[in-house]
Amino acid sequence: MSPAVLICDDSNMARKQVLRSLPDEWKGSVQTASNGEDALKILRDNSINVLFLDLTMPGIDGIGVLQGIQTLKLDCSVFVISADIQPEMQNKVKELGAKEFIRKPVQQDILLTHLQQHGLL
Amino acid sequence: MSEFHLTEDQQDCLQELINIAMGQASDQLARYLDSFVYLKVPSIESVDAKELMRTLSEQKNAIAVVSQGFFGHEGIRGEALLVYQEGDSDRIADLLGYEPDDLSKDEQVIDISSILTTTFLNVFAQQIDNQMSYNAPKLLPNVKDNLFEHLQQMPFTWDIALKVNINYQVTDYSFNCNMILLIPEVAITNIKHVLNRILAEF
Repeated sequence: MSPAVLICDDSNMARKQVLRSLPDEWKGSVQTASNGEDALKILRDNSINVLFLDLTMPGIDGIGVLQGIQTLKLDCSVFVISADIQPEMQNKVKELGAKEFIRKPVQQDILLTHLQQHGLL
Repeated sequence: MSEFHLTEDQQDCLQELINIAMGQASDQLARYLDSFVYLKVPSIESVDAKELMRTLSEQKNAIAVVSQGFFGHEGIRGEALLVYQEGDSDRIADLLGYEPDDLSKDEQVIDISSILTTTFLNVFAQQIDNQMSYNAPKLLPNVKDNLFEHLQQMPFTWDIALKVNINYQVTDYSFNCNMILLIPEVAITNIKHVLNRILAEF
C-alpha cells in the first residue's frame, strides 16, 4: 500500500520537483502545503506517513513544523529538503527527528535511495 | 519596468533558484566566519536605474558598497553590488576579531562580499546551465559622491536592476546586506527564456 504523503514547501516549483521524484505508485496519495501552518493542520487531521519538508518559509518554518510534530507526538517519517545546507542545520533537523537531510535541488536517485534506506520502498 | 515583468510561475521559479544560491552562499559565509547564519526568505524586486540611483544617493547613513562585475554565456552579464548599512562593516570586523585598522577592515568587507557574490552567482549559473567569470571586487569609498559616476562607467547599459534583499544574521551579531544585480536587458530576456525552459519541464 502506498503511504500518505505530504509535501510542504512555499515554492510551487519545489513542490513539483519533489512530486516528480516520487515513485509512481505514491503519486496518487500526495497532499501539498505551501506553509508551516497548513502543514501542521494537515498533519493533525490526517495520518500522514511521509513528510517532505522545506525549512526556509515565511511564518512557521520547517523547524517550527518539526517541533510541532514532536509536541503532537505524530508518527511520521520526515525528510527535510532544503537549500540551507549548513552542517549545523543538518544536525539540528536530525535532532528534531528528521530521518534525513536532502539538499536542494532535489535529485530523484538520492531521494529514492533515502526512502529505501529507511525501509519505505 | 515591463521588461522585467515576470509571470507568477516565472517569479516562483526565480525565487527558488535564488533560495538555493543564497543557501550555498550562506553556507560559505558560515564556514568563513566559523559561525551559523540564520536564513530568511529573500525578497526579489526589480527597480529602474534612476530610482535605484536616487535611493542609494539619498541614504542618510554612510553606506559601503562593494561592486563586482560578472560575465556568463548567452549575454548574461552584469554587476553585483553588495550594499552595507553604516555600522555593518564594523560588525563584520568585530565578528572576525579584527583590530580597528581601516585597511584590514576594508579588505575584510571586500573578501566577504566576494565570497557571497561569487558563490551566489556560481550556484545560480549552474542551475541555468551557465558559467560565470568575475572581475576583481572593488570597495567604493565615499559612495554618496562616487556611486553615480561608478554606475555611469559600467561597460554596458542597463535600465532595470534585480534587487535581492538578503538578510544574513550571524548568531549574536547581525548585519544586513542587500545584493543588487544590475543586468542589461539582453540578460533579463535570456533569464526569462531559461525560466520558461525550466518551467516547461514540469
